[in-house]
Amino acid sequence: MTSQEQRPLELILARNLLSNLSTPAVLVNGAGDALFYNEAAGALFGRRFEDTGVMPAEEWTRMYGPLDDDGEPIPLDEAPLTVALRSNRAAHVRHRIRSVDGTMHPIEASGVPVVGASGFQGAMVFFWPVPEEAR
Amino acid sequence: MKLKVWGARGSIPAPGPETTRYGGNTSCVQVTLDDGSTLVLDAGTGIRNLGLAMQGFTGSLHILLTHLHLDHIQGLMFFAPMFEPGAEITVWGPASPEASLLDRIARYISAPLAPIEVRELPCHVSFREAQTTEWDIGPARIHAASVTHRGPTLGYRIECDGTSLCYLPDHEPGLGTTLADLEPEWISGYDLAHDATVLLHDSQYTDDEYPAHMGWGHSPLKDALTFGHCTGVERLVLFHHDPLHSDDFLDALSGQAITRWQELGGRADQVELAAERREIVLTPAAIGGT
Repeated sequence: MTSQEQRPLELILARNLLSNLSTPAVLVNGAGDALFYNEAAGALFGRRFEDTGVMPAEEWTRMYGPLDDDGEPIPLDEAPLTVALRSNRAAHVRHRIRSVDGTMHPIEASGVPVVGASGFQGAMVFFWPVPEEAR
Repeated sequence: MKLKVWGARGSIPAPGPETTRYGGNTSCVQVTLDDGSTLVLDAGTGIRNLGLAMQGFTGSLHILLTHLHLDHIQGLMFFAPMFEPGAEITVWGPASPEASLLDRIARYISAPLAPIEVRELPCHVSFREAQTTEWDIGPARIHAASVTHRGPTLGYRIECDGTSLCYLPDHEPGLGTTLADLEPEWISGYDLAHDATVLLHDSQYTDDEYPAHMGWGHSPLKDALTFGHCTGVERLVLFHHDPLHSDDFLDALSGQAITRWQELGGRADQVELAAERREIVLTPAAIGGT
């Protein structure tokens, strides 16, 4: 067997799905680490996943957010999306994220827990741009 | 450890003059362990002929089902040891949140689809949901893991006396992705197949046929070869032949497979198409065929 731990099938399939979507999306594990984000999310963040690889929760939240309306970081453990997902619930929130060039993006985020035979494996988080009139 | 193929066809039996050499029976592989005990991988129609070779069987044997599609269970009630009072048979298969393994199999072995019920089988039979973990059967270590197919599906790795056999008859690891670009941890079935002595792997479709069947749970030749290459297996046996593929067609496909395997850096004698009655002996130092 390999020394590198195989990802659960549910996460493998989720990654395959996200990689084929044009909706910006991130796949996170139970700890909040970004296991993968797709090309559309890479365009939003300003960096491709191929250039960053897996990002620990602290790193990717420090770089991209979530941020409140004043641009202040929302602690990951207190973010409504995190709280909901860790309780095995789907959630939809509005906040801001920041590209690597500093551009702020008001977005809505939908989080869907990924639950397999072994329980909670992580979550898929989709980003939706907030329409101009709703900002 | 030794394996013998009793059925290598996928989807539905394909008997007839066009399929005499590779065979028309659906998935079934006999594995004989070093202590002489028997494991059976899947119970497609090929298991009927295996049963005929085991007439009068007494003792215990284990049947490991990858999933419950009909081409993997259809032979179960025509397996002679099922009708031997001295046989003790354990059937392993994937768990489902919907119903027990017994209840799901009993949908097939019951009226109106069958003339008998599971409880009427003369053997001592038990049904066990295989956990996606490891356990021992006799001298063999069994590893099971969920793999990409339609519905709950397991792949198996059997390790015994320094050799390893990986069985992934229905597997579409390349669905929605490019296998060659993925890190191993993101490839379905990778851990099961890694460095296996022999890998039996789904190769139901040609590359040209695959786009019309994407998502059906089976691999094109390209992905079967890439999977075998990236997992570093010693020998790749292509399995689950499409029922429309005749012997002549499969001969041509075999030639393509060997050429393309060599282009990936492998040797010609490392890849072949599974054929009924084919036997392969697995040894730590070398692999022999009969």
